Amino acid sequence: MNWRRRFIAAVSVAALAGILTSSALADEVALTIGKLLELTGPLSENAPSQDKAINIAVDYANQAAQSAGVPIKATAISADVQGDPQAALSAARALVAKGATVFIGPSITPESIAIANGLTIQKKITVWPVGTSMRLRTIKDEGTIFRTVPPDSLQARAVAAAVEDKLGAAKGKVLSIAYRNEPYGEGLFKDLSAAWQAKGGKIQGPIVYDPTQATFDSEAQQIVDNNPDAYVVIDYPDTFAKVGAALVRTGKFDPSKLVVPDALAFSTVPSNIPPQALEGARGTRGGSDTSTQAYKLFDDLWQKAGGVEHFALDANSFDSTTLAILAAAAAKSADPAAIQGKIHSVTKPGAAKYSPTNLGDALKAVWAGQPIDYVGVAGAFEFAPNGDPTISRFDIFEYRDGKLHVIKQIDAAE
Amino acid sequence: MERRFPFLTANARVAVRLTLVLILVAIVLAVARGPVAVGQTTLNGLVAAGYFSLGAVGLTLVFGSLRIINFAHGDLLTLGAYVTLGISAIGLPFWPAAALAIAATAGIALVLDRIVWEPMRRKRASTLQLFLVAIGLAMVIRYTIQFFAGSQPRSVGQDVLSAIVVGPFHLGALQGLALIVGVAAATLVGLGLAFTPFGKKIRALADDVALAEVSGVDTRRMIRLVWLVAGGLAALAGVLYAAAVGSVNPNFGFLILLSLFTAAVLGGIGNAYGALAGGLIVGLAQEWSTLFFNARWKPVVGFAILIVMLLVMPRGIFGSGRARS
Repeated sequence: MNWRRRFIAAVSVAALAGILTSSALADEVALTIGKLLELTGPLSENAPSQDKAINIAVDYANQAAQSAGVPIKATAISADVQGDPQAALSAARALVAKGATVFIGPSITPESIAIANGLTIQKKITVWPVGTSMRLRTIKDEGTIFRTVPPDSLQARAVAAAVEDKLGAAKGKVLSIAYRNEPYGEGLFKDLSAAWQAKGGKIQGPIVYDPTQATFDSEAQQIVDNNPDAYVVIDYPDTFAKVGAALVRTGKFDPSKLVVPDALAFSTVPSNIPPQALEGARGTRGGSDTSTQAYKLFDDLWQKAGGVEHFALDANSFDSTTLAILAAAAAKSADPAAIQGKIHSVTKPGAAKYSPTNLGDALKAVWAGQPIDYVGVAGAFEFAPNGDPTISRFDIFEYRDGKLHVIKQIDAAE
Repeated sequence: MERRFPFLTANARVAVRLTLVLILVAIVLAVARGPVAVGQTTLNGLVAAGYFSLGAVGLTLVFGSLRIINFAHGDLLTLGAYVTLGISAIGLPFWPAAALAIAATAGIALVLDRIVWEPMRRKRASTLQLFLVAIGLAMVIRYTIQFFAGSQPRSVGQDVLSAIVVGPFHLGALQGLALIVGVAAATLVGLGLAFTPFGKKIRALADDVALAEVSGVDTRRMIRLVWLVAGGLAALAGVLYAAAVGSVNPNFGFLILLSLFTAAVLGGIGNAYGALAGGLIVGLAQEWSTLFFNARWKPVVGFAILIVMLLVMPRGIFGSGRARS
């Protein structure tokens, strides 16, 4: 009898456990994150680090959720946006067909606009692009687009500050500006020229070039004409490889007078760009306070994962992914509209602050329905009504011996 | 002279006129914008002209003799550059690798004729069908390159920074080489078409295939020769462009293709000298335009000139010359 009682008890416990487990599984939020990566195209240098940052964030959040007993599990699937709006829209559709209900990326603003207009606005899917152009804000995204990356209105102030820092003063100094004829270049030029002129500086140019043209020597000549005090070239790596060589060939180019924005921020100057075009040049990129525990944790995860080195905005990709997972946990749902509705409640100023170092607690809190203020690796995210951060930290860096060295950090605010 | 070499004489007359017009324009510009600025943009324009001319010669040769609007021509430029990089990667120096790549690309163009174009000819495909096949072929070549070499820009590893400096003027050393080779190759093809037995047969083929066959021309052999030359020239253009610019990506040939078409049509489709002249006009006009307008308008200038010239001279510059002769 004893064995019989034991058997019945064991079966009962197993059945109860099964019921509880199946109930828990039924309640588990299964979030599929779509990675819209520039695996090919003009910003393909970015994709490996962005991919790695998202994967690290997903793995880390899943571990934190499991440890905290929060039933949410994220998976990431990717598609190549190719640097092309139409290809990006096709890639996004393919990911939605596979179950993605939130997107991290893409990096180029026309791609984000195509995806928003063609797909995500209708489906209320939240998009976290890495593109910084203000052109993104010319569309009515109905609250679906959030950026953890600093928009160009902020980057322009950082670039102007970097030039001023280099020259010692701005008043009366001539800044020659050239840009690739795309929304990124055009938007940043407008904000930068306004910021530089507000400091009392003068603008030469802009010299605008088409990335598909065969030669860039006349443009390079115009950039260095009249020996300006500094030059800013707003470009992507593939075109700058040609523009940079043309600048050096002019014989009048001084790379230490050059300042570049984030698209030309590399840990090591790529082999297709002549080192002489960037040696001594300065630049800006979205930065993170590297002294924080959150950054140290992120860097630790990064090093343990192996693979590519840090690249511009990798911390922002990590934070975007984490915020999407927190919002899904707060919504207790992977439904796109539910996620969208909870983003402001996980970045709420005045609420209890959490960071990646206590992500498990953050997940517990949001699962319990509490608002939180997530302070990420890249800093706090005080989203404006349009979904852009209102304050951002920037690295000012300098290229020496083909390597990027951060020389200071500044905060730029609206 | 005119009776013995009517083809050359007509072309020479057009060439002299064109040269005089371009010199006159340069003088007017120099007065308006200063000799240094105009001199430097002229040099830059000649460099661009070198790329366009060399690329356009093969294009015009194929259309002139086979009536194929070869949209895959730009991708043959890319193929030449990537095959060079591939051979270099196994240890051969760049220029010997380039020579092998040119031969290989010419061979590939020949193979493509056997497996794609010859069957299409046998089926008497229309111009539109040939055009669509060319677009498809272009994509096949581009994505095959991308599959094997990746899509990221690749450094060619040549010295793109050395410049020849004369007074206030400077010219990249490899750009100078590309210019000289481009002009020389276009001229050689033009002379070859005018004076060699092969050239005469190719011109006969271009005029009327059936008539050429009746006259005893081995048209299949001539067609293969056309593809060999066109493929080789495309690869040469691709290699020189890549070496002078310093880096390549799988799209570069496609992106430059419209400028090559402009040069070929502007000069008079089917005429090698026309490709040279068309490239010269497009290159110079684009660079000169930067003296007056923002450089963002540069690509538009070439196409605007094409439209205007076609309104005035529908057969292109050298097409008109031939018609008059």
